[in-house]
Amino acid sequence: MDRHFEEVEHTADIAIRVWGRDPAELFAHAARGMACQMADAEGMGQTIERTIDLTAYDAETLLVAWLGELLYLSERDGCVFTDFDMLEVTPSRLRAVARGGPVTRHRQHIKAVTFSDLEIVHTDAGYETTIVFDV
Amino acid sequence: MVQKSDFQRVDKYIWELPKATRDDMRVPARLFGDAELFDAAFRDRTVEQLANTATLPGIVKYALAMPDFHQGYGFPIGGVAAMRVDTGTISPGGVGYDINCGVRLLGTHLEQEEVGPYVQELTAALYRACPSGVGGKGRMRVSERELNELVTHGVKWALKRGLARQEDLAHTEEQGCLAGADPSKVSARAKERGRPQVGSLGAGNHFLEIDVVEEVYDEEVAQAFGLWEDQAVVQIHCGSRGFGHQVCDDNVRGLQSAVRKYGLQLPDRELVCAPIDSPEGRAYYAAMACAVNYAFVNRQVLAMGVREAFEQVLAGKVSDFDLFQVYDVAHNIAKFEEHEVDGRRMRLCVHRKGATRACGPGYAGLPADYRDVGQPVLVPGSMGTASYVLVGTQKAMELTFGSTCHGAGRVMSRTRARKTVSGADLRKELEEQGIVVRAGSNKGLAEEAPQAYKDVSHVVEVVHGAGIARKVARLRPLAVIKG
Repeated sequence: MDRHFEEVEHTADIAIRVWGRDPAELFAHAARGMACQMADAEGMGQTIERTIDLTAYDAETLLVAWLGELLYLSERDGCVFTDFDMLEVTPSRLRAVARGGPVTRHRQHIKAVTFSDLEIVHTDAGYETTIVFDV
Repeated sequence: MVQKSDFQRVDKYIWELPKATRDDMRVPARLFGDAELFDAAFRDRTVEQLANTATLPGIVKYALAMPDFHQGYGFPIGGVAAMRVDTGTISPGGVGYDINCGVRLLGTHLEQEEVGPYVQELTAALYRACPSGVGGKGRMRVSERELNELVTHGVKWALKRGLARQEDLAHTEEQGCLAGADPSKVSARAKERGRPQVGSLGAGNHFLEIDVVEEVYDEEVAQAFGLWEDQAVVQIHCGSRGFGHQVCDDNVRGLQSAVRKYGLQLPDRELVCAPIDSPEGRAYYAAMACAVNYAFVNRQVLAMGVREAFEQVLAGKVSDFDLFQVYDVAHNIAKFEEHEVDGRRMRLCVHRKGATRACGPGYAGLPADYRDVGQPVLVPGSMGTASYVLVGTQKAMELTFGSTCHGAGRVMSRTRARKTVSGADLRKELEEQGIVVRAGSNKGLAEEAPQAYKDVSHVVEVVHGAGIARKVARLRPLAVIKG
């Protein structure tokens, strides 16, 4: 799949549309898309590695929990995560390894990942969703 | 899709979307604006989100949008919704992530020309005293036990710690402490994020400004608020930082299952809610109240930083460098208030998301010195333009559950603002207007460019014309500090 994510116009906040051939790829692309909103992700180091293990009520809640976890770790550890090994992604469980590094060029602060009109859609080519971030 | 033609014009400033427009609306929706602002509502998803808000269980009278409305998530920004406490719901998405983002206005005893020679120096001192920026940490550290006390008692905690004056409490919405806060309902993660950030501005649209009162519209009310033409004042705009974001995030996720448990049908998952009278609803309220109190204390600690900075720079140079508190008011909150509905007094849970309480004269919750005139309403404009001090009205009590606008309201996305505005040029423009600017980055500056917002004066004319607040004074910035 060529398209990973793109930015979508939103008056006050920011939104990205994300594609993936399977849920694991969708979740990885969403995380990468979020990182690109937070910082100039090109050429960033990958000196920090975190293992993430989450359970959630359904796939959308899991997606919000996954991105929210990365936001939290970014704030706590002063870094942005840009590379992801998705070990397991089911509608209610996620295990992954995230790698990233300290940010040299911040783009913008993301306060939170919202559920605004959030729906993971199954298409002929795989999966697609649009995520709105509160900034 | 809601169309323009679905709306009926009630008067010059009120547009009503009948309940019958959508099967799932429980009450009509009302949008406040003149013809130009009404047209603008259809350029993004504002009206769809307003109609969605009207579907929430227990909502009374109307779902309302103040004239600074724009698309948000769940509720539109500028949204007001009041719920019955017996059968109604409380929605974390109806308050937002930056719980009790709000404004505090401090007055000086100085005229512009007395402050003028020291504005550069004051700005530098304020920048040091009031940390800002992404993940910015405050100057004080609190233990977990202290944080629990802080979020339970709000500004009363600060008073005990010598970080507030009695009159600061009196001049804060809810006296700086929303009752019902219970830190045991707040996650460890929210506390972890909140502990280092007490007394910090943050980034985004948050700011600290030194302003001058450029024009007074209502002498009598201005006098009651301690404001006069040419006076230097200070505005602090920020919220509950990572603590509030995490409380909202925990609850928006946590309540997803409650929606199914209570059989609620919602058109947007961000509108997630729970019955007010349920364990989930009570837990959210108790946690949200903690974040409300955190934000009051955050602005209180920043205000003490402002007082310190003024003393540092101005002691011995001017007659009186002290600052007094005009008022502190929330823009994102849910609160229990009494209002009249169809001739009956009712206790309601009023959600304000990007809206300001605007109580009229005689309201019991007001401090004695403001009771005869009404509550100060603080409306910050976009950076480098104007801000307004308004006063609440009886008409707001009748039309909008005592609510009015909270700012200018965005019209342009941050991305488009960054693409069309050069932060460096904007900084130059502001400086050419004589405004001192301290900002974390030019990009951040560009995102908050005045072009990205509605004209705050236009919005204020509408609320004044509609009678849901009255103009008292206009402020012009002398210095801006941004994260």
